[in-house]
Amino acid sequence: MNDAVKMTRLHQWHVQQGANMARFGQYDMPLWYRAGAKNEHLAVITASGLFDTSHMSSIMVRGADARRLLQRCFSKDLHRCIGRQQEPLMAGRSVYGVFLAEKGDVIDDAIVFQIDDAAYLVVVNAGMGPEISAHLRSHSNSGGADISDLTDALGKLDLQGPASAKILGRVLADPASVLTELPYFSFTGHFDPASPLSDSVKLVDGTPILLSRTGYTGEFGFEIFVEPEQFTQVWERILAAGQDHGLLPCGLAARDSLRAGAVLPLSHQDIGPWPFIRNPWEFALPYTVDRSGFTKQFVGADALLSQKDSPYTYPFAGSDLRKVTAQDPASVFYSSGDAIGTVLTCATDMAIGRSDGNIFSIASPDKPAGFQPRGLCCGFVIVDRPLQPGTTVRLKDNRRSIEVEIVTDIRPARTARMALAQFLT
Amino acid sequence: MKEIHELDLPDDVRYAEDHEWVRSEGSKLVVGISDYAQDQLGDIVFVELPEVGAKLSKGEAFGTVESVKAVSELYMPVGGTIAAINGKLEESPELVNNQPYGQGWMVEVQPGDPKEIDALMTQQAYLEMLKGL
Repeated sequence: MNDAVKMTRLHQWHVQQGANMARFGQYDMPLWYRAGAKNEHLAVITASGLFDTSHMSSIMVRGADARRLLQRCFSKDLHRCIGRQQEPLMAGRSVYGVFLAEKGDVIDDAIVFQIDDAAYLVVVNAGMGPEISAHLRSHSNSGGADISDLTDALGKLDLQGPASAKILGRVLADPASVLTELPYFSFTGHFDPASPLSDSVKLVDGTPILLSRTGYTGEFGFEIFVEPEQFTQVWERILAAGQDHGLLPCGLAARDSLRAGAVLPLSHQDIGPWPFIRNPWEFALPYTVDRSGFTKQFVGADALLSQKDSPYTYPFAGSDLRKVTAQDPASVFYSSGDAIGTVLTCATDMAIGRSDGNIFSIASPDKPAGFQPRGLCCGFVIVDRPLQPGTTVRLKDNRRSIEVEIVTDIRPARTARMALAQFLT
Repeated sequence: MKEIHELDLPDDVRYAEDHEWVRSEGSKLVVGISDYAQDQLGDIVFVELPEVGAKLSKGEAFGTVESVKAVSELYMPVGGTIAAINGKLEESPELVNNQPYGQGWMVEVQPGDPKEIDALMTQQAYLEMLKGL
């Protein structure tokens, strides 16, 4: 892999704004801006935050064989994945899943957007464009799929938080036609002005965007794809429109703490070179109703079904904000004193706290009077045995030892799945 | 991130390589972390300090400072006995970000060897070290 540091189109802007920069993958990215990671995290819960995510890779898969190829390589069953009725993936909808190796290990996670009958946009993690493209090519025997890696050739920004729809309404040419029914994991428009789909979503200056009701924060909001030449002006336009809504530019630190609290995995950290099973994200697998098998055959499926002694991954929440350092590494101890595993992620969700043992968020409608949380440490552990929710385990790194609780969910009152209309009033 | 010229580096304190500062106040020494350190750490959300009366040698860890990004050790820039700790940091750890040389001080030390402070960096020497980072 090339070791040179890459930059997004906004790099200079980040530096000029006084962002604390750090290397993430191959990219020099903002960790936080002048407001600080805590304020940025809270802005996404209470107002809105804007993230430069154009370090992420996108791959366009086109052609008669495109769907068959993704059905073969991607973990979701594209014939049965939308809504409670398990309808097929259709144009304007997207799904989350993983790409597995034959032995069931995770190569990367992704969202697949169906653009039309023969075009799919596959959004993977930073730096993963070449590897996933090669993986897809290796399974495209007929040559009926054209796979183009759009790494560094597509701008992407995430507008996340309850004020996002109102802010977006100010920059859209025709907000009334766009901000209607746009359910979670659906999208509209196209970033390529040559596509007829690009007519459906344009900004006031005519810039076409692909607007998606997705994100990586657990909160209501959008991912916006735009041609790279337009990226900086779209970023600045949205920031200006959001100024009096409390919109803050947000860095990777807030992105990480928000996603941890929302129980979303970080690829290559919480999921990675071990079988994708016995984790909180098995909804990305196409289990039959009785969970005896999968509804389709795909790369890695046989290995997963024959797994017998894979480790278990669980979310946890601490009793206060103190973290351990997962990179130390940090170990997990059972009440008996046995070392049973390691910590994958440990972050602090600054919007939550405990009251009488229960976790509340600053956004919880039922939060106790005067609730002013200082944050809770949370994340994921991987252990050698099944643990019931409510089990207390001890996490230990080189400097401290903390007690945490195995949980099924972390930050309450998240807004990602709520209807768009609720955010326009 | 603050540019070097934006950093507040007062000249009435001495600096350690681990970015603690020390100020002489009567027979005691007051210790905190520099503006550079707090800027690098980001929002400080928790500060763990030692017990008053603890005897610690130069270079020994006396506590931790926890930001949203990381948990970092605090090292004694001089050896001595902890004479006082800044109790305000328990409720208001952000004082370390806002006033690193004032309300954000961390511990007061009764030094074992009052001359040990002389071995620490002056403002100018610390600035030179930061330029080299």
